[in-house]
Amino acid sequence: MTTTLIANLSRYVPELIAVVTMIGALFLEAAVGKFDKAKDYIFSAAGIGLILCLISLSKNMSLSATPIFTGAVIIDPFSTMVKIIMVLGVLGSLYVAFVSKDIAENHKSEFVILAMGVLVGGMLLASANNFLTVYLGIETLSILSYVLAALKRNDGKSTEAGIKYALYGGITSGVMLFGMAHLYGILGTIHFSEVLESLSTLDQTKMLILLPSFVLVFVGLGYKIACVPFHMWSPDVYEGSPIPVTTFFAIVPKIAGIAVIVRITHIFFDKSGVLQDSWVGFLQVVAILTITLGNILAIGQKSVKRMLAYSSISHAGFMLIGVLVIDQIGISAICFYGVIYLFMTLGAFGITSFLGDQFNSDRFGIFDGLIKSHPFMSIAMIIIMFSLGGIPPFGGFIAKYNILSASLHKGFYTLAIIAALNSVISLYYYLRIVQSMVFKDATYEENIKGFTFINQLVMLGICFPILFLGFFWEKIMITATNAHLLVK
Amino acid sequence: MGLAPYLIISMILFILGIVVMMARKNIIAILLGIELILNASALNFVAYSRFLTNNIDGHIFSLFIIVVAAAEAAVGLAIVIRFFQVRKSIHIDEAVWLNDEV
Repeated sequence: MTTTLIANLSRYVPELIAVVTMIGALFLEAAVGKFDKAKDYIFSAAGIGLILCLISLSKNMSLSATPIFTGAVIIDPFSTMVKIIMVLGVLGSLYVAFVSKDIAENHKSEFVILAMGVLVGGMLLASANNFLTVYLGIETLSILSYVLAALKRNDGKSTEAGIKYALYGGITSGVMLFGMAHLYGILGTIHFSEVLESLSTLDQTKMLILLPSFVLVFVGLGYKIACVPFHMWSPDVYEGSPIPVTTFFAIVPKIAGIAVIVRITHIFFDKSGVLQDSWVGFLQVVAILTITLGNILAIGQKSVKRMLAYSSISHAGFMLIGVLVIDQIGISAICFYGVIYLFMTLGAFGITSFLGDQFNSDRFGIFDGLIKSHPFMSIAMIIIMFSLGGIPPFGGFIAKYNILSASLHKGFYTLAIIAALNSVISLYYYLRIVQSMVFKDATYEENIKGFTFINQLVMLGICFPILFLGFFWEKIMITATNAHLLVK
Repeated sequence: MGLAPYLIISMILFILGIVVMMARKNIIAILLGIELILNASALNFVAYSRFLTNNIDGHIFSLFIIVVAAAEAAVGLAIVIRFFQVRKSIHIDEAVWLNDEV
């Protein structure tokens, strides 16, 4: 018994490191919180913890898939890949938090603690192998996110974002639980590994209850990735939260939610039949609505944060297309999309954060005439915007191309056409930022304090993968193709 | 008594929860509606576990639901207190500072 526990724990090292980092940051805050340099210590401790986490994750990458803790959690290459994306996302948003002025200095250590907690929840969700771990993962992710959204505790908008997030989150997780209860009643088990065998012995009347229950479960998961029609919270929460928190929300919960939707779809709807057809049809409708509505609503926005929120909704729709092909090429396309999406989101929010601190605003006007005063950062932002819109030489194009080729491979022609048309619509609002930087005159004279040498270097480091992966994408694609999912 | 009465009661609780969340304007009342929904699903889990599935997964699940619901209520109430101190109201119609400007 003890030996199996130790063997199980040896596979669980990345999560343990994340937990220890979180608790360590908590104690460090309690011990040295009053000192001047406390912030530096806590951020560097968290950074070291995350890098250790990355190293142990990259070691796990080559291991074969194993269920651990009596099948409650599964460690397979796909979940490890998703965890690597999430850890990188936390690392990036910690950097944005470190330099941003949007969070008060004495609240920054709280950001570290809560972000590490959300990361632990996301990692649990990415490798969840029964309904209980899915539920616990989602709640760990959500409950800490509510606090993160309300981190500017004396700001009316931030507390309102917290309220909206908490209410939407509570309702959707309740509905999801109701669906899970009925699934448990029908299937007689909460373990994903035992589901297939009970699915094959179901009679027709029980099948009828199965699909509505899955739709109820999808409410909770779809809320986490903010797909239409559960997207209403997303722009409000993104606008109200401080920018580092918004960066964090755009990456970690979204990627974790996509991972669990991939797993559920591949486990329950692997066999072709009525069940698979109706689920794929449902996901198709959701994906089309998500991409189209996200893009159309983004057009009229005046706030850059809201625009990026709607754009992240439409990116979630693209990732859903990768889910509904129910194939390994879909999974590898999602992994690749996740990597590119991570860098694009970090870059876009990072530059918006530096400018937002200077002008205390998140309007499009903050970009006016930037190319004359700060050409390097403007070119970085132009690269990121072109990549988000899916213009060929950049990484975003390859990511969208992979998703569309996966869907064409399986014969979803209408879906691919609608997605490609939407990519054109999205260019309109991404290029508004480029137009504002290049063709408008600056309304200010002063130098932007956020663009220090180190910050520019970091932004260059974020832009480099977007450019690099646009040309040399085979390497990461091979890694993504190896990210198999264990389906029993 | 069989399974059906439990399912009917949990369905009623679920619908009541949804109605409370849609009809009440007080944020605390909306949090109570969420609790109703969570309890409806916990009741479902226990009933299925007792009558249909012959394992204790459902019992364990309902215990977890109770624990997580308490955590969620604590965090929710803490945020409501911040909202009240900043905005001097716990009416949901006050939460309109964040919206799409057209």
